[in-house]
Amino acid sequence: MLESDESRRREETLDKYHVIDGDCHYMESFHDVAEYMEEPWKTKFEGSNFDEKGAKQNLSSFFPFSTGDRQAHGKVTREHSSYPDDPETPERIREGMEAIGVDETLLISHLILAGAGTTADDDRQSAFAKAYIEYMLEEVLDPDDGIHGLAPIPYGDVEASMEILDRVEDEDAYVGACFVTAGATPPLGNRKYDPLYERCEELGLPAVFHTGGAGLDEYVRAGYQEMIETHTLGFLESNMSQIVSLVIQGVPEKFPDLDIVFMESGITYIPGLMTRLDEEYLKRPEEAPLLEKKPGEYITDFYYGTQPLEISADTEYLEKCFDMVGTDSLMYASDYPHWDYDRPTTVTDLPFLSEDEKKQILSENAKEVFDL
Amino acid sequence: MSAEELIEVKAADAFDDGEREIVEVNGAEVGVLRVDGEYHAVRNRCLHDCGPVAEGAVGKKLVGEFVEPGKRVEKDYDGDQPIISCPWHGWSYDLETGEQLADDDIVLPTYDVVVEDGIVYVANE
Repeated sequence: MLESDESRRREETLDKYHVIDGDCHYMESFHDVAEYMEEPWKTKFEGSNFDEKGAKQNLSSFFPFSTGDRQAHGKVTREHSSYPDDPETPERIREGMEAIGVDETLLISHLILAGAGTTADDDRQSAFAKAYIEYMLEEVLDPDDGIHGLAPIPYGDVEASMEILDRVEDEDAYVGACFVTAGATPPLGNRKYDPLYERCEELGLPAVFHTGGAGLDEYVRAGYQEMIETHTLGFLESNMSQIVSLVIQGVPEKFPDLDIVFMESGITYIPGLMTRLDEEYLKRPEEAPLLEKKPGEYITDFYYGTQPLEISADTEYLEKCFDMVGTDSLMYASDYPHWDYDRPTTVTDLPFLSEDEKKQILSENAKEVFDL
Repeated sequence: MSAEELIEVKAADAFDDGEREIVEVNGAEVGVLRVDGEYHAVRNRCLHDCGPVAEGAVGKKLVGEFVEPGKRVEKDYDGDQPIISCPWHGWSYDLETGEQLADDDIVLPTYDVVVEDGIVYVANE
């Protein structure tokens, strides 16, 4: 267990670190994004009675479509964000960054996390993603001030996704492409997505795979009753399924210069997945003929956001997980202002990391991968 | 280094292609196989869980080639690389080198096979 060090003020410990947040969420509103949509989506969205809400789930909290309330039924509130009651503003993003001790941030759309689970309608996702790109460029992103963006990729529509990659090619504000792992069917190692990875590799844009809460109620089966069940399992399943698919289908061999990042499932699942997949591969290598090494070695070539870091786990166990994944593969991520966000202190407080390793995780890996 | 000892397997003209014999070499079971006219000999003890690997299926290594983005990976058997698979869990080894197909740091012991005066022998070095 981590021990509390009362003699040390947490805020002060952060002053000596430059912190880059690999995963912060911008709570865009439907109204704001609709302004940038093409017809017929503009009229449809504006008339869809979404109101100004950014993320609040009043109705779903009572009749849940995602197993309950993110704010734990009123327990969780945010002082430095408008979430979940109102849309975010660029000023509030800076306020939030300062409050948790972040110097630079990578913003990921909040609403696309929900949209990606709606596999029945890729046209709607594409319309949203294209408008989001323009809205964020025009009103929010500010790379000179450390506010960077990830371009949402509506991968169900490869053609529209290619158009988005063309659109952001010369926009320095976009430093990566974001693939929401929830809802991706077929999984993201399928050859149909090859052109997207090829283009990302060509543009030097890392592919950031971000788990998501959409469709959590029935992420593989229906009938869970509480969010603690679906959030614990569903977030993991969404990332694990795509990691396995990417590795076994040989995406890292097909596109060796593509940087691959996975966000938001903590880190302790990674050694478990590595060892299980390696064990299977020793018995069935003929099913992954593109691989030149064991699956686990590709998995540690990927990068991982640390949040939600399992800091209450046995320290020796957590240290072993860090060793197996490698501090050169980890990057701090807050997930702010979501309910289970992490401050950079989750990294600085770890007793087994050297100063150099903390700096790697807090900024240097992200700086290198996203060319910041 | 001790002198090479030859352990008799059987007459070459009685060793049909596709056949195998299990012999004892220095206290260990060794499988001697004739595959596509070539002799191979491997330890009959899988490095996974000690299964009788030398009694398992013989096949070819499946290889894949990435042709271009969006196209199916082209898959075929490499006729030059015979493999043997343990019947217990499927661990597979290159018959010539003994290397586990998934991890070449894992190497099943292999033995030289010689034919002298019409008799097939396994070498025990």
